[in-house]
Amino acid sequence: MQITVELHASFRIGRFKSQAISVPASATIGQIVLELGFLEKEIGIVLLNGRHASLGQLPQEGDVLSLLPRIGGG
Amino acid sequence: MRILERQTANAPSSVLYHRCVVDLASRVVRFQEVPCRNLEDVLGGFGRSFQILAERAIDRAYTPENPLIVNVGLLTGSSVITAMRVYLSGYSPLKQSSRGLPAAIWSAGSGGFGNKLRWAGLDEVIFENRSATPVYALLRAGDGGPQVELRPASHLLGLTTHEKILALHREHPGGHYAAIGPAGEHYDSVFMGAVALSTDNELKSGEGKVRFAGRGGMGSLMGYKNLVALVAQCPDQFPRITPEVKAVNQVVIKGGGSARFQPVSQGGSGGTWANYPVLQAFHAVPQENFRPRGTEDMQALFPENVEKVLDVRQEACVRCGIRCHNNIQERNPDGSRGEFLGKFDYEPLGLFGPNLGIYDGAQVAKLIHLCDNLGMDAISLGATLGYVLEYNQRHPQQPLFNGATFGDFERIRELVMQTGRGSLASIGQGVQRLSEGLGETSYAIHVKGLELPAYLPETNPGYAWAIAGGHMSMQTYLLLAKEGKTGLDDWVKAITRTGLLQVGHDMIGLCKFVGFGAAHETTARAIRAVTGLEVSVAELEAAVRRAFLRGLALERRQGYSDAEYTLPARVFDEPNPHVKLPQFVTREFFSELQRRVWQVFAPEMEGLLPEPPPAVASPAVARAASGAPEDA
Repeated sequence: MQITVELHASFRIGRFKSQAISVPASATIGQIVLELGFLEKEIGIVLLNGRHASLGQLPQEGDVLSLLPRIGGG
Repeated sequence: MRILERQTANAPSSVLYHRCVVDLASRVVRFQEVPCRNLEDVLGGFGRSFQILAERAIDRAYTPENPLIVNVGLLTGSSVITAMRVYLSGYSPLKQSSRGLPAAIWSAGSGGFGNKLRWAGLDEVIFENRSATPVYALLRAGDGGPQVELRPASHLLGLTTHEKILALHREHPGGHYAAIGPAGEHYDSVFMGAVALSTDNELKSGEGKVRFAGRGGMGSLMGYKNLVALVAQCPDQFPRITPEVKAVNQVVIKGGGSARFQPVSQGGSGGTWANYPVLQAFHAVPQENFRPRGTEDMQALFPENVEKVLDVRQEACVRCGIRCHNNIQERNPDGSRGEFLGKFDYEPLGLFGPNLGIYDGAQVAKLIHLCDNLGMDAISLGATLGYVLEYNQRHPQQPLFNGATFGDFERIRELVMQTGRGSLASIGQGVQRLSEGLGETSYAIHVKGLELPAYLPETNPGYAWAIAGGHMSMQTYLLLAKEGKTGLDDWVKAITRTGLLQVGHDMIGLCKFVGFGAAHETTARAIRAVTGLEVSVAELEAAVRRAFLRGLALERRQGYSDAEYTLPARVFDEPNPHVKLPQFVTREFFSELQRRVWQVFAPEMEGLLPEPPPAVASPAVARAASGAPEDA
């Protein structure tokens, strides 16, 4: 199935801003993250269609998956 | 600090700390070795200073009875990474309850001063009364122990924070320095005076790469006391890094918690600045007085765009492996590094950048640097200026001051300059007083009289219970953005269980960027490795919790009412449709949150303060403590 992956902030460096990718229907967000070359510990925020999601969730056809790096207090 | 026997925290009196009391009026200096009363005393920082403040009845900040307490944490001066924190505590000229009583406050900073103070043999210095003439305090290591003397400081008056530090460095090489700026000297009109803390980088480069203890106006309190600067002078005494300390430091560097602050080239996100591209994805960056417009102007201030035109260098405090400072310099035509412009830490960048409608990196850096040089708290000033600019936008026919509006760099710069030089008291005394005087309080972005940091209030109801700055004393400010939490149970738990533990860092001497909690196994390991004291995680957590709740109890004693534990009214009345995060903080939600949080906190706060209030209590403090109405 097709989903759109959006990367934000430093994740875009050397990668992309937004890209449609094909993933197996059984793939969790965590598996997709690994497939994209990220380590799980790098991921700060995961959004699925604009809502906070967990790495264990299953995206559906046409979903927009957004990945953001970790943030911390200033 | 002297430890009589390797004990658990159950015997705090076996730990003695070195205190010096300096009477600025009589010039009498007393040294004391004080046994700790409890684990909060052992840990130090505000855990100790707030117990001292609680023993006093203070009804205004500018009174000789209001002490300035300068102390360190248990680990300050050790070889644990980030262990260089120093704390300044007193009753705040800026933060006050609706009854007009000042709140107790502490502010914390890094740089080299804390280490030197500890190495000079002092854990705490209490400055009593006020000097008749400007002085600075010289704190030195002597053959027979620490030596303290007061010296004339007239020659320092009018100098910027950085200039004062360099002047003192020439007079007393080998030291580190804490100095107020012109703002603190004008304490009557500037309540948000900060204290600049020198860094090795600053002293070596001659550039104003200073750290600050900014919150709550401790620089103004110093100014009131005619105490212009502090010098801590002694040889460096970094302890040997034992295998145990090395293991702790490896957790800091490799454990992941601090990694996000490292440069991108090292796998990090690039310092606290890197929060902006993430928060901008939600349009949750404070824009034009904390009111995001849903635009992408902020992208001009993203690291990759600033780096195209300016030189950005990520640097660290000495011997700190976390390179959190982004120092901004001009780039010369030949590509070399030019003049130092300022530093991009999260709060100053947001509050002098998008919050004032300025998106030019060099201009933002210049405003930050001007604020630093004049010695003001960037958060308080940035938030107050944001209010002024919005007021002027709302009242174009009758604007305030010079009529500055969002994005007007030159006029904003003029306001910063005039405020820091003491000629704009309406700004220098903070946004609460200004907005109440104007009768337009809904968009004054403060809680309990202290301006908010650069995280939107609609994303953090926890602000209401922060006791010394919204993001320094309640770690809930990123809960919504990071986890999407909107449930009442989640927020009650975050405020009453986990968020408050953040203040433990401001006891033990570690920076919050170590990346692990203050009541955490690694902290206990660090304490064991440095001091030999066996303190369990449960004991640590209990002590931090007591210290926090003592701070909250002290707020109530100083007259804060239930109604003051709230957020700016605009959060409830005018939800911002541009913020792409759940709008969950309604009046109904907040009312229930208040009820549930106090249900947890109130019983635990009982008995944490000296009871009954001290016999010398002024009528106003006694009324507040008794809960009696003001006119009783």
